Amino acid sequence: MTCLTIFQAKAQKCNLVLSGVVMDASNNAPLEKAVVEIKELGLKFITDIEGHYHFYNLCKGSYTIVVNHMSCDSIKYKLTIQQNVIQNFKLPHAINELENVSVNAKRDLNVNSIKEVLSSKVVDATRGQSLGEVLSRANGVTVLQTGSTIFKPVIHGLHSQRVLLINNGVRLESQQWGTDHAPEIDPFIAEKFTVIKGAGALRYGNDAIAGAVLIEPKALPKQAQTNAEFNTGYFSNNRQYVVSGMLESSPVKHPDFSYRIQATYKKGGNARTPNYWLHNTGLQEFNYSVSAGLRKEKYNTEIFVSSFNTDLGIFIGSHIGNLSDLQNAIQLSKPLQNIDAFTYTIGRPKQNVQHYTLKSKSQIYLPNNSKLNLLFSHQRNLRKEYDRALLSNRPELDLEICTSIADINYESSSNKKITSNIGAVAMLQENVWAGSRFFIPNFRTENIAVYSIHNYNVNNWMFDAGARFDYRHLTTYRNQSDSVSSADRSFGNMSGTIGATYKISPHFKWLINGAYAWRAPQVNELYVNGLHHGTASFEIGDPNLKSEKAINLSSQLKYQTDSSWQFDLGFYNNIIDDFINLTPSVPATLTLRGAYPTFRFVQSNAVLRGIDFSVHKILNRSWMAGAKTALLWAKNRDTKEWIIQMPSNRIEGDITYSFANKILPNAAIELRYMHIMQQTRVPLSIADYIPPPNAYSLLNLDFSSDVVVGKKQFSVGLTVVNLLNQTYRDYMNRFRYFNDEPGRSINLRIKLKL
Amino acid sequence: MKQLKVGIIFATFLVLMAACSKGVNKPNNENEHEAINKIELVFTETGGGSTSFVIEDPDGDGGNPPSRIDTIKLNSNKQYTLTVKVFNIVSGVIKEVSSTILAQATSHEFYFIPSGVSVTIQKTDKDKNGYPIGFLSSWQTAGAGTGSILFKLMHKTALKGPNDGPNVGHSDIQLNLPITIK
Repeated sequence: MTCLTIFQAKAQKCNLVLSGVVMDASNNAPLEKAVVEIKELGLKFITDIEGHYHFYNLCKGSYTIVVNHMSCDSIKYKLTIQQNVIQNFKLPHAINELENVSVNAKRDLNVNSIKEVLSSKVVDATRGQSLGEVLSRANGVTVLQTGSTIFKPVIHGLHSQRVLLINNGVRLESQQWGTDHAPEIDPFIAEKFTVIKGAGALRYGNDAIAGAVLIEPKALPKQAQTNAEFNTGYFSNNRQYVVSGMLESSPVKHPDFSYRIQATYKKGGNARTPNYWLHNTGLQEFNYSVSAGLRKEKYNTEIFVSSFNTDLGIFIGSHIGNLSDLQNAIQLSKPLQNIDAFTYTIGRPKQNVQHYTLKSKSQIYLPNNSKLNLLFSHQRNLRKEYDRALLSNRPELDLEICTSIADINYESSSNKKITSNIGAVAMLQENVWAGSRFFIPNFRTENIAVYSIHNYNVNNWMFDAGARFDYRHLTTYRNQSDSVSSADRSFGNMSGTIGATYKISPHFKWLINGAYAWRAPQVNELYVNGLHHGTASFEIGDPNLKSEKAINLSSQLKYQTDSSWQFDLGFYNNIIDDFINLTPSVPATLTLRGAYPTFRFVQSNAVLRGIDFSVHKILNRSWMAGAKTALLWAKNRDTKEWIIQMPSNRIEGDITYSFANKILPNAAIELRYMHIMQQTRVPLSIADYIPPPNAYSLLNLDFSSDVVVGKKQFSVGLTVVNLLNQTYRDYMNRFRYFNDEPGRSINLRIKLKL
Repeated sequence: MKQLKVGIIFATFLVLMAACSKGVNKPNNENEHEAINKIELVFTETGGGSTSFVIEDPDGDGGNPPSRIDTIKLNSNKQYTLTVKVFNIVSGVIKEVSSTILAQATSHEFYFIPSGVSVTIQKTDKDKNGYPIGFLSSWQTAGAGTGSILFKLMHKTALKGPNDGPNVGHSDIQLNLPITIK
């Protein structure tokens, strides 16, 4: 049908364009995934994140437009087209419809922070990959890697505790301090990934100095709906397969009740560089989650339980005993400590991590369009790291951390112009170690916070301001030679944000944002004392560290038209006082195993500034091209030197060809080119074992489409990563000393909706 | 409102669950490392008596350097048999763990690399694959001198071969031991 229409259109020289935005009538928020249909032509367009839709090559005439969205009533509209038309649609909310989770999350945010929502196309294309890999598709986000299995998101050069991960409304609390500790979140749980760049996420914490990521599932199904979705994927490089299933329902007999169950299983073997296999780099993951919700006229409540379990192999050639082992390994272009063969078996060294989350969330509707949100959560994280089996099979590192959070929040928007959000958060956390080697002590943290955030809309301006006070009390318990001692530290401080957005035109906006954030030193920074095998270093904390403080200024210009240009230009300047960083120190630490370089946590003043820029041009019905770049300058203001281990500058270009026919109604082929420059901004006074790796370029090719076979429809995707099978190493991979990055991988994914 | 009350009770319960199952205020002893923290080198002269040399590092992988490193003292132009013994000391209790390492003999090997002294060293024990281990070795000294022995225990799960160099695997022990041959 689509094909026919196009031919007809060409024959009649029809070249009119219908475009516009679909919005929610109640708050003018753009609606993603609304379906705009031209009845007479059978043409459909699903709106993007900004609510945009467009149809090209239309003939003059009268048409019936039907607009549908899952959480709104549909509307029908008669339209006569004589010339190019821009037509916006406002959809009324369905009666009895209660706002879904993602709409709430939007309200929680500081509206004027720089955000990037991953498009559903990117989300689909990265299905089966780890959270870090998914998030790295946002501009300005990179990953800190440990080998080929462990990915940590890095926003504007910062990571770990400086990036908050909000999983379904709950801030992830695990051993997030570790550079080789990947976030314990299954991306299949979520449908929407929002990266907040800069310290704007006041609602979720004072410590998001770099930014925050919101990982949100879709809303539970509504009255008498039942949906199921099945995803599967295969990754040729490490022969990894993934299966994920989801079932959700709202029973006909109890339309106010709904539930969802979801599970993912993943298993991969050794990864392969263009020239050799990497022994012991397999992974295995099993995750599940259950949620259930009740929607009533005056309140709604939801319970969510999730379990994340993973086994991660650590490349055998990266596992070294001491400094001379490390130097021996570095000298080789191909790792000596390796078995060049494929296997799914995972042996030591490895990590085994389990993470459990229990959450209850309720909203109570109050008069005057205000709401009370109650959120309680409990998380339990068990991390076992196995270095070597020498005297027993016990893990060397064995940590259990439990966190309970109570979050009470009052939202009011009594008039259309002002919305307010005030709240209080209490958190209690306990950590216990049990491994065969001491690394961080037992501790208990008590945290309380109050905050108040206000938004004000007038004409084309949108302002926001927020303040938050946090108090943290930390007690550590240590046992040195069978006598237990405890130590207390307290930290308290204000944080705040202020921002404004000006709509220069409906397609063009300018945003400016300032934030003050602080972060109390974490237990590892204060008290760590032990060997870190992955890096052959001996890490020593400093119990007298002060809190880290950041003043973050950012600005964004964003232009987006329906059918032609889109660009997004962001600047940031993050001034951090008392920046805590692991820094080499002398003398080396001597043990029976040999010498290890000593690293201490020290504080200095830093500044991180950079530019994120992206541009897209829709060339015509079939072709679209884009480019983006992320640039970062990170300096130590005291020594005037560059800061070590920061992502290098990068540029990307992509070109997409779209086509459609009877079997493939919305096919797209994308070729993506990435160029990662060599990191030349490294400190001269801190010697690295080897200089940063050379620049490299990668080509990725992606095909995706829905497929119609008879009456059945499913989605397929085929991606070739590292198309040219490049041999390269990356500065942000801690295993750059030992091995090359994986070579070409052909990845297939299939999604079936029932 | 009944459900709401149930919800609030449930939430309170959640908060009370904060405690981890193990006691946070009863930490393990940080100095108890499951590591080799004492080594004894027993030299037996062919047709003569035995002498022991000891290396100790009570905090194991901890940050303090070894507390005792004896100088190996041997006579010139003599034949010795060396027996290596490794120990784990926890809270003053000394436990010999040589048999634990011997049980993993197919993934371990000792190395003795002399420098500055003239001594010929031959490993005399073999694992079940017929590859050298090094708990037992014969030492033939030549002339007098002073130097050092690089003493290593290499851990090489799945990597061990019959004639590995001293850098295969990762180091479980690496020490430079002073030696005097009179």
